[in-house]
Order: sequence, then C-alpha cells, then structure tokens
Amino acid sequence: MNTNTALVNKTEDLPGDFAIWIFILAEMLVFGVMFIVYAFARSNQLEVFNASQLTLSRSMGTLNTIILITSSYFVVRAVSAIKSGDSRQSGRWLLGTIFLGGMFVAVKLWEFKQKFLAGITLETNDFYMFYLTLTFFHLMHVLMGMIILACIVYKLKHGGYSAQEHFGVETGASFWHMVDLLWIVLFPLIYIIR
Amino acid sequence: MNTPLNRFATLIWLALVILTVMTFCIGEEVSAGKTVMLSVLLISLVKGQLIANYFMGLRHVSWLWRGIILGYFVVVGSMIAIAYLK
Repeated sequence: MNTNTALVNKTEDLPGDFAIWIFILAEMLVFGVMFIVYAFARSNQLEVFNASQLTLSRSMGTLNTIILITSSYFVVRAVSAIKSGDSRQSGRWLLGTIFLGGMFVAVKLWEFKQKFLAGITLETNDFYMFYLTLTFFHLMHVLMGMIILACIVYKLKHGGYSAQEHFGVETGASFWHMVDLLWIVLFPLIYIIR
Repeated sequence: MNTPLNRFATLIWLALVILTVMTFCIGEEVSAGKTVMLSVLLISLVKGQLIANYFMGLRHVSWLWRGIILGYFVVVGSMIAIAYLK
C-alpha cells in the first residue's frame, strides 16, 4: 500500500469536540421533527399553505441560501488556514463568515419586517406560524454561531490556536456547518415545495 | 494558501451554489407537483451530503457518522415526501 492509498483509507476522528456532535445530532433531531410536523400539517390545509407560501420571497430565500453556503466555505478555509499554522488568515476567513452571518440576519429581518407590515403574525394562519417559528428558531442558531465564531476569532488573535492545537476552531466550524445543513432542508420546504 | 484541498472545497462550493440556483429555478418556473417536490428533495439530499462529507469533514470519519447524516436526510426527506403525496 503506498502512502497516498494509506491516507485515503485512513479513518480519522470526528472534527472538533465530541460533545458538539451530540449537540448537532440533538438539534438536527428537533428540527427534523418540526420539518415532518410542518409537512403533515400542510397536507391538511393545502390551499392555505400554498397561497401563503406564494407570498414569501423565493429570491430572498435563495440569496440567504447562497450566503450560508458561502459562509460555510469560508469556515472550511479558516480551518484549513489554522491547520497550516496561519492564524492571521484563519481569523480573516472567520471574520468573513461572521460578516456573511450578519448579511443572513439582515435579509431575514427584512423578510420579517415585510410580513409584519402586511399585518401577518403567528396567529394569521398555520403556515405563517410555522414559517415565523422555524425561521426564527434557525435565526437564533445563526446568531449563536456568530457569537461562537467571534469568541474563536478573539482567541485566535491572542495566539490561542496553532497548527498543532486547533480543536476549538474545528468545534466552532462543525456548529456553523450544522446551521447551514438545517437551512438546506428548511429553504426548499418553506419556500419552494408546494 | 491555495492548496489542492482548498481548490477542491471551492469546487464543492460552486456545486452547492449551482444546485441552489437550480432549486430556485424549479420553484420559479415549474408549477407545483410531485416531480417538483421529489426533485427538490433529492437536490437537498445531495447538498446535505456534500456539506457533511466535504465541508464538515465526515468523509474520512467512521462510516457510522456518515450513515447517521445520510439516514437523517433519507428519513426526514421520505417523511416529507409521504406527507406531500398523502
């Protein structure tokens, strides 16, 4: 077996802290149940769900998907940079991620504002109740991810991570990817499928 | 540093963006129906696997973890499909 084959076949440990993976699975489970409940609730009120869904801005939903995917890519680059020992570059990629997270929040708040201005609340109908609850719950995770990444950037700036010790960066990265992963299901479910 | 791994990550990012634009086009151009629902769910499954395996780094981790994420998308996606086909 040559070195390359050995590298390809090597089984590695989970990136980051094991505890974050348990947290990720728990979060995905909670969101998964909510996605399924939404789908079955919709099947009982097809017309209400389809008509209300058409009032959402699919272009804003798509924009936010691209923003999150790009932010996830920035996180990959941040992990790659710290693994090479370049903490400065890693910090820059993470700051870029936080900026994109801010853009996601801004777009989402704009969407919420449009709905509230139109007089739509949690009580308008079941579709809007799910839309507002699910996307707000997800938004809280984006904000939590931004705080986690900001703490990592702070520690990076103070020499807390290196090519040998980058466990915390990987842990934060895994959390951020989870936020992206959840949106990958949430976006088509709420905005596209009808 | 533009290493081969970083270039690969860039390609995965590009694939994810293309799949997202495809989802948007399906939502904008095609009328509602089972085919639309199934294609969009399938695209989500592919995107989820790309993120889990290449961005989250599960590709070289024990098969159990990759299986959990794949299983999640298959189970949640199937339940959504069942609800929509009801």
